[in-house]
Parts: sequence; structure tokens; C-alpha cells
Amino acid sequence: MNTVKIAVIATFCALSIGTDYALIGLPNVKLMDLIVFVGGFLFGPVVGSSIGIFSWLIYGSMNPSGFEPRIWVATMLAETVYGITGGLLRKALGSTGLGSQQFRLSVFFATMGFLPTVLFDLTTNIVYASVYNTPVVVAILVGAPFAVLHEGSNFLIFGVLSVPTIVALRKVVKG
Amino acid sequence: MTEKTFLINKWVLVALVALCWALAASFMTGYYYYEYSDLSSKVKESIITANLGVNYGNGSAIRWFNETKINAGSTLLDLTKLTASVNYTGSLSGASVNAIDGVRSSDGKYWLWWSYSSYGWTFGQVACDRYVVGENETVFWYREVYSANPQPPS
Repeated sequence: MNTVKIAVIATFCALSIGTDYALIGLPNVKLMDLIVFVGGFLFGPVVGSSIGIFSWLIYGSMNPSGFEPRIWVATMLAETVYGITGGLLRKALGSTGLGSQQFRLSVFFATMGFLPTVLFDLTTNIVYASVYNTPVVVAILVGAPFAVLHEGSNFLIFGVLSVPTIVALRKVVKG
Repeated sequence: MTEKTFLINKWVLVALVALCWALAASFMTGYYYYEYSDLSSKVKESIITANLGVNYGNGSAIRWFNETKINAGSTLLDLTKLTASVNYTGSLSGASVNAIDGVRSSDGKYWLWWSYSSYGWTFGQVACDRYVVGENETVFWYREVYSANPQPPS
């Protein structure tokens, strides 16, 4: 891993942690997922996943909502889904110019923000259920409003911000 | 998958958006079904009895208020106010208890609640004013350290 990638991971981690604390008043609405996704899209799944893991490593250990080691590890690993998705999409899109077909790309990225979030929420709810001795189905159903808020907000955030962010960052750093 | 597959064919995008909508709608349907079933099973009688325990987390004895009579549909906060003095703060996400019988959340210890069921002790997932207590249910206030993995009442 070269120094540019290390610098990118550090900068993206700082961004995602900072925005998470800034948005603490809005439960389950955060920019971290987008930042991890963009990291994966620009620099590949390994870099994207690393941003997710390191962000949660810090944010999760100083989480104002509380700290539980097993949930912490689960969220750290689950966050990698955004980096992996970003990395895989980069390969799938190939040399597609993001400037063209921007509306369709935005809609597509919105769904790519939503679907990995379903996986993230299911994973963390299942771990929550095992930690707090709650039936898995109950944990998923009771947590549904929070999950849908997370998924819906990611749909909008990814749809609106992912294409402009990637286009802008591509000009700064050659991914 | 090439760019042409999902960017030129708009129906792929429509299908993906519909999938997202279906998932969100299914989750919310499941949520409301669970809430309805849970609530309807708890409010069969007009007056019900419930048991409330309080562990102050300061070495003093655990207090039990067994077979307390409450109106069906009462929340855990209603039950607690009936048996003890409660100081709480309301917010969009529900009431947060600051103190019970004058014992405040302090030193990293917070007032958390648990419910006993066939699964054993279950950690309270919602605010106490959002949780409807059921017939013969046992609920427990435990002032304990949240940041280090709260433990169920023993």
C-alpha cells in the first residue's frame, strides 16, 4: 500500500468520524457510509473496507450512544460492505464517464446505498439480539423504523452526493 | 455486468428502486404487525397486574412492587410513577429516566430497564414511555454501567 493510499485512508477516516459526531443528533443518518463507499469506488475494496474498519474502530470506542464490544466488532466488519460495494461497482462500471447519464447513475447509486444498508442493519440487529438476549425476529421488527430511516437516508444521500463527490475527487486524486 | 445492462435499460433501475421500496415496506409492515400483536395481547383486561423491581445500583436493597394494579395499556413509565418517584426528560425518541427515588444516573451508571419473558431477561429496546406493560409481566429498573456491556438482573 503506497503512501497516497495511506493518506487517503487517514483523511477519509477523519472525515467520516467527524461527520458522524456532527450528525449525532440525527440517529441513523450519517455520511460515513457514503465516505466508505466513495473510498472503495476510487481506491478499491481493500482501501474502502479499511476506511470503514478504522472509522468504526475510533468512533465505536468513543460512541456517545454507548459501547458494547461485540456490537462494536460487528459494526466494524459490517461497515466494510460499503467499501466492498464501492470497489465492485468500480469494476462493474469500468471506464464509464460519470458525467454522462448522471441521473440514471444517481438512481443506481441510490439503490447501491440502500441495499448494502439492509445487510448492515440485519447484521447488527442479529448481533444485538444475541448480545441482549432478544429473539432475532423481534430485534429486527422492533428495530425496523430505525433501519428504514438508515436505509432511506442512505438512498437519498448516495443518490444526491455520490456522483458529484466521486467526480470531484477523481479530479484531485487519480484513483 | 456491463454499463449498458443497467444504465441503458431503465427497467433494471426501476426494478432496483422497486426492490428497495418493497424491502422498506416489508420491514415496516412487520414492525406494525408486531406492535399490534404485542399491544393487543397486553390489553385484554381493563385492569392488569404487573411486577416491578428496582435495583438502585448503590448497594441498597432491591425493591419489588409485586402485583401492582395498573390500567391496561399503561407504559413502564406509568407503572414506575405509580410505585416510586421518577425524574425523567422527554424527547423525540421517548422519556429518559434521570432518577428513581432520588437516586440519579451518575458515575457512568444509567437507569436501564429489563423485561422478563420465556427467553429470560431481555434488555429494554425502547424508551420506558413507549413500552406497554403486559398482564403479569415482570419489569426491572437497573441502575448500571451501560458503557461496559450492561448485564441482566441476577
